[in-house]
Amino acid sequence: MSPAPNRPLTVLTVCGVGMGSSLILKMNAEKALKSLGVDASVEHTDVSSARGMKADVAIAQGLHTDELGSVAPVVLSISNFMDVDGLRRQLDEALRAQGWLE
Amino acid sequence: MSKPVVDAVVGAVATDWRGAVHAACAPLVTAGAVEARYPDRCIGIAEEHGPYMVLAPGIALAHARPEDGAVRLCLSAAVLSRPVEFGHDQNDPVDLVLAFGSPDDASHLELLQSLAEHLVDGIADELRLAPNRAAAVQVLQRVR
Repeated sequence: MSPAPNRPLTVLTVCGVGMGSSLILKMNAEKALKSLGVDASVEHTDVSSARGMKADVAIAQGLHTDELGSVAPVVLSISNFMDVDGLRRQLDEALRAQGWLE
Repeated sequence: MSKPVVDAVVGAVATDWRGAVHAACAPLVTAGAVEARYPDRCIGIAEEHGPYMVLAPGIALAHARPEDGAVRLCLSAAVLSRPVEFGHDQNDPVDLVLAFGSPDDASHLELLQSLAEHLVDGIADELRLAPNRAAAVQVLQRVR
């Protein structure tokens, strides 16, 4: 367990192209994080660019998550982009496991 | 900002996912909103990265980058007469393929935000139930 970062959480949403699904993920992640009361800055990008980036949490489709282990300590895999509640639950669980959310 | 080009195909016939992507992009190509190479780029990206465009059970969103031949902001939907497999481990088969194009990295932000909200609110089923192209276009035009 590590203490909550003393700054907004950095979240990266990733897809193959960096324009469509990653953008929808970004909007859903912002909604979910807001409802969890987590101060976060969310950016979206394509998987190639993501490899050179660092974040606290990376969110992507399952087909990309294997490639994101070096990008963030927490990598969440999403299969249904319409399921904001599901994403909220995944974030809640992961942030608690990290000790970033009590 | 200029209004997006919006169109739809109801009862589209496709034998595989590549055909489904072409079906969704076809009205955009016809309208000149994307170049003829655009659907092939959408397919090429999926061949390289996997079925990135499958967003939810039964729903795909085909798109490529501005430099891949997107001319105008545009959005279309193809409701397939028979669903096809995209090779997605959880969301196959797909019977609704949406396609969008954006001429730059910013023009589509509002459109996609609106699309995401409408998808959460059930616009996919409204499109699936649309009796004809005009009705489907009317549904899709709410996405702004």
